[in-house]
Amino acid sequence: MVDRSSPPKSLLSRRTMLGLLGAAPATAALSAAFPGSLRANAAGTGQLNIYSWPDYFSADNLATYAKKSGVTPNITTYDSNETLFAKLNSPAGAGFDIVIPSSSWIKQLADKGLLAELDHTRLNLASLDQDLLDRDYDRGNKYSIPKDWGLLGVVYDPEATGGEIKTWEDFFKAGERPEVSGKIRLSDSGWETIGTELWLQGKDWNTATVEEIKAAGERLKSFAKHVKSFSGLDPNAVANGSIVMAQTNQGTARAAIGLNPKLKWSVPGPFSELWVDNYAIPKNAPNVDQAYDFLSFMLQPDVQLAETKYVGFPAAVAGLREKIGADTPNADLIFGGKDLDFKKLTSFVVNPETIGTYLQVQTEIQAAAG
Amino acid sequence: MSTLTSVPLDVIKPARGRLGAPSARLVDHLLAGIPTLWLALFFLAPLGFTVVFSFGRNIFGGVELAFTLDNYRTALSGFYGATFIRTIIFAASASALCLAVAYPVAYFIARHTSRHRVLAIVLILIPYFSSFLIRVMSLHMLMSRDGFAEAVLNVLNLHSGPLDVLDTQTAVFIGMVYAYLPIAIVPLYVVLDRIPRPLLEASRDLGASRLETFLFVTLPMSRPGIATAVLLTAVPMLGEMVIPKLLGGSRGVLMGQALSSQYLQSQNYPLGSAMAVLILLAIAVIVAGLARLTKGFAEVGQ
Repeated sequence: MVDRSSPPKSLLSRRTMLGLLGAAPATAALSAAFPGSLRANAAGTGQLNIYSWPDYFSADNLATYAKKSGVTPNITTYDSNETLFAKLNSPAGAGFDIVIPSSSWIKQLADKGLLAELDHTRLNLASLDQDLLDRDYDRGNKYSIPKDWGLLGVVYDPEATGGEIKTWEDFFKAGERPEVSGKIRLSDSGWETIGTELWLQGKDWNTATVEEIKAAGERLKSFAKHVKSFSGLDPNAVANGSIVMAQTNQGTARAAIGLNPKLKWSVPGPFSELWVDNYAIPKNAPNVDQAYDFLSFMLQPDVQLAETKYVGFPAAVAGLREKIGADTPNADLIFGGKDLDFKKLTSFVVNPETIGTYLQVQTEIQAAAG
Repeated sequence: MSTLTSVPLDVIKPARGRLGAPSARLVDHLLAGIPTLWLALFFLAPLGFTVVFSFGRNIFGGVELAFTLDNYRTALSGFYGATFIRTIIFAASASALCLAVAYPVAYFIARHTSRHRVLAIVLILIPYFSSFLIRVMSLHMLMSRDGFAEAVLNVLNLHSGPLDVLDTQTAVFIGMVYAYLPIAIVPLYVVLDRIPRPLLEASRDLGASRLETFLFVTLPMSRPGIATAVLLTAVPMLGEMVIPKLLGGSRGVLMGQALSSQYLQSQNYPLGSAMAVLILLAIAVIVAGLARLTKGFAEVGQ
């Protein structure tokens, strides 16, 4: 997941924020200290070690799997793709059977030889939403299977913005209005802020040069004076009006709209971001068979439906939208809105040549806002 | 000593006199050696790596050993140089603010509590029973819109309408002072408490007003406490990154955030190391300055 500042369990953003900062290492430490307590007892001979984001699997599904296979997955957690990369890149990373890297990091992990190529004959990829397969971060899904996905969009108060936000240009223009200025939240990921201007200039954020990124960053730096926050978005802050326009994902937006129905969500053009969190199997994973067994279990439609409800972001199986019951409020928003066009979505790929520039310019943007 | 047990008694007796002292010293050395080894392993060795890295070249997620000053040039020039200076000014002002609040509190506890002194100290230290993060997060809730602070200020007619203090520099200062206040109060209290009463009485007897007594007796004699309080607050503030993130909306980046993003996000260990070394040097300068301030203060409390 790219925009970790507005994490998946968005209804509980405060708790999640705490979780990201504190509980994640604690959970990791706990489960490392008591590995046996999380594993199946004598009944199962196998083992399955999953390294994942905190609170990212439905507890019911895990229990069902444990009952079915006799193997209780042993889950350790991390709080950023960078941590995952550092761990897999060190001897301490040995021993994991499944990891959940975001689309932005698949290529880096694969290029470093840290991921195993997947055997597609052992998985049912045909049932998945074809829009999520064969994307530019992993052509042919050699290393990754989509787990769930999210978008970069805007949640806003149409009264304050004076109209709809259809493009990122609308976003910048609305930000200058006195009703909006000083009440804006931008992402803290450089590519999500600078990317908007790159898209407006007709450039691709994955191929933009260092100079192009810096040039696009200038617009954001002069826009920064209107920005209130770059920290994780609290849905309450948008609902009560202390923030009236915010870059965020559809999950946080849905939580805010649930609290205040007059708010609107849009995925501005010409392009915006699709991030996908993926299942992957590290190279030299000790329990490969168990990992495939777990993946085929997870890819079953009813399991995917439960995952979607638990995580708050859509799992990858096709036709989920029809299966979500009418009792789920604003169900369309889970899937990014009614008229989402996957052709206008692009996924960020971390590139060692430019990632430093994105991050440095982002730091400068945040400083310019101070 | 066990090898000596087989030796006849008359030989042992004088031998004990000679060998006893060195062996006791051996135990002392061993005991001192454990923490020394600990520090060497977990402090000096990582510090050494940091210094070596700071002269190296960046390869994504690693370091190529070299001797280049480029990292220091980057860390001191342009944007990062400005951030470094802003951080020092920020830490200095937040620390001064903290001191300004802590001094009267410490003075009150030292002078005006007698039976309830323990209670007062406990009340100040109780927040430390909960996690730092929980305390900052609670402040976040208190200061948010529709929060407790808004309600109280509105009732007291000090403010009307919604309170928008969150995500501002003011909120960061409030958070900093709140979080570091107890560790500023305690050293000040210790020093103020140990100033001998007869000195104050003598000052009054010689015709000094209360203010003059404070300015010329109490304040100079509390210098070591002030120095310790500044040290204990300013040094962690130089690297503070949680409070600006949770209360300040991550605007106006400080060195701690810039540094951690080099390590955690850009995977640029050499530049991050150079920044860390610079912060360390800044701290060393502060410590040296404070050491001068407290020079010749062995007499306090005697």
